[in-house]
Amino acid sequence: MSRRWDEKRELWIGWWTLVVFYNLYGLLFFVVARTQPPPKPSLDPSEIVQWFADRRDGLLYGYAIVSIVGGATAIMNATLAYTMRRMSVSRAFAYSYLVIYALATLPGMLIMGVVCTVGAMRPDRDPELLSWLYDFAFLSFEGTMGVFLVGSLVWMVAVLLDRNRVFPKWFGYLNLCNALTEVVVAPAWIFKRGVFAWDGVIAWWINMAVFVTYTAVFLTLLRRMIVREDFGTGPLPELESDRAPGPAGTLEAAR
Amino acid sequence: MRRADGESILLWTLPAVGLVWLSAFLLFPGFVQPMSPAMSAEEVAAFYRDPENLPRIRYSMIVFNWFAVGLIPILALIVLQIRRMAHRTPIFSYAMIACAAGGPTIFLMANLFWLTAAFRPERDPQQTLMFNDLAWVTFSSQVGFLIAQSVILALAIQLDRQERPVFRPWVAHFNLVVAVLLMPAAFVGIATEGPIAWDGLLSFWVRNIAIGLWIVVMGVVLGQAIARQRAEDEAMAA
Repeated sequence: MSRRWDEKRELWIGWWTLVVFYNLYGLLFFVVARTQPPPKPSLDPSEIVQWFADRRDGLLYGYAIVSIVGGATAIMNATLAYTMRRMSVSRAFAYSYLVIYALATLPGMLIMGVVCTVGAMRPDRDPELLSWLYDFAFLSFEGTMGVFLVGSLVWMVAVLLDRNRVFPKWFGYLNLCNALTEVVVAPAWIFKRGVFAWDGVIAWWINMAVFVTYTAVFLTLLRRMIVREDFGTGPLPELESDRAPGPAGTLEAAR
Repeated sequence: MRRADGESILLWTLPAVGLVWLSAFLLFPGFVQPMSPAMSAEEVAAFYRDPENLPRIRYSMIVFNWFAVGLIPILALIVLQIRRMAHRTPIFSYAMIACAAGGPTIFLMANLFWLTAAFRPERDPQQTLMFNDLAWVTFSSQVGFLIAQSVILALAIQLDRQERPVFRPWVAHFNLVVAVLLMPAAFVGIATEGPIAWDGLLSFWVRNIAIGLWIVVMGVVLGQAIARQRAEDEAMAA
């Protein structure tokens, strides 16, 4: 047992980092900083001053912790890039995914942290400028689409082309769902109210539902992949428990 | 045969970039005596309008703009050393590549805010204050990639179980200490005075000295690792 842990320890470090940090980010954004679910884009400057005042400590401490642990995304993305390296596709897929998601950390998380910290640290700032900071924080966070759009499509194509059975083909199409959520966010740059606004049913609620499902699914699939990993270059072996019932001998012979 | 041509040129860019960074650091009037976050909007505006300060702010930040990415080749050499370690997967070297782009991008963003503040010092002081805040908070609080870099390197060294590891265990411990020293700076937003404020002991002096020390120590051990690798390659070829 310890030997198997030894061989796969880098992969398990990656998997646990993913599980722990997705939960931690959820906690920090939803509970500590309370910037998710997002507030209304239609607030006027005096309401925005109040919004910053209401959650001052949460923003300052929450985003400080995000700043400390934000770099963990590097090991998370490296682990996901490794799944593509294990596939029968070109290394270009793994490298593209790695670079796209490394870049995504800035608009996807860190810029919002900086801007919310600047907004919260001086409650007496000119309300017009606070209003600009508020827009910049949420638009950079919700409105940066391309990195997740193209990143998901890269993973989708890799899964669909792969002959090493690293992930089931249906996961390729789930990537397409995730990519499409980024397409429908675009109107958030235009509308300040309604379903298309950055807090709307389409731009936020449906997106979040798809993203949570997608993340839960790939964490489960990644765990199975690590258990199946044989460090070879051919197809990954199936899990014992997944083999079709019947005489095991014939199944083995059929391979 | 491994292609190692040019690695020593890349390595020797380190003292040159280090010297450029140190000069620009000393030239920027907001670093030598770090600007206080307790300054009022009018005081911040006066800092940028001061005819003594303005050229020094612009020239130092232009130099940082040129060389903010100057350490990426060194990080790339570290990536190559991680690949020589006794690991089963390239996850640590991938993660290091992901970090290599992050840190310099953050530094560049801070740099752009400082340069923008200095571009029109006659602007409304509230606006100059906002750009100055954005610059300082980005510069000080965004330690995540630097911490990750050190932790990943420490983990990679710890799991490099071979007769002659690429880096010795103390390099891993040193990296963990650096990671811890960088953490308090993330909290700059909570105070305008004291050790956590962006001009304070922890957020400014400890953080920046830790970064400087990391560059020097990693430069030396990296140079040693590359020299040893070259000797091994030559012994193999002979």
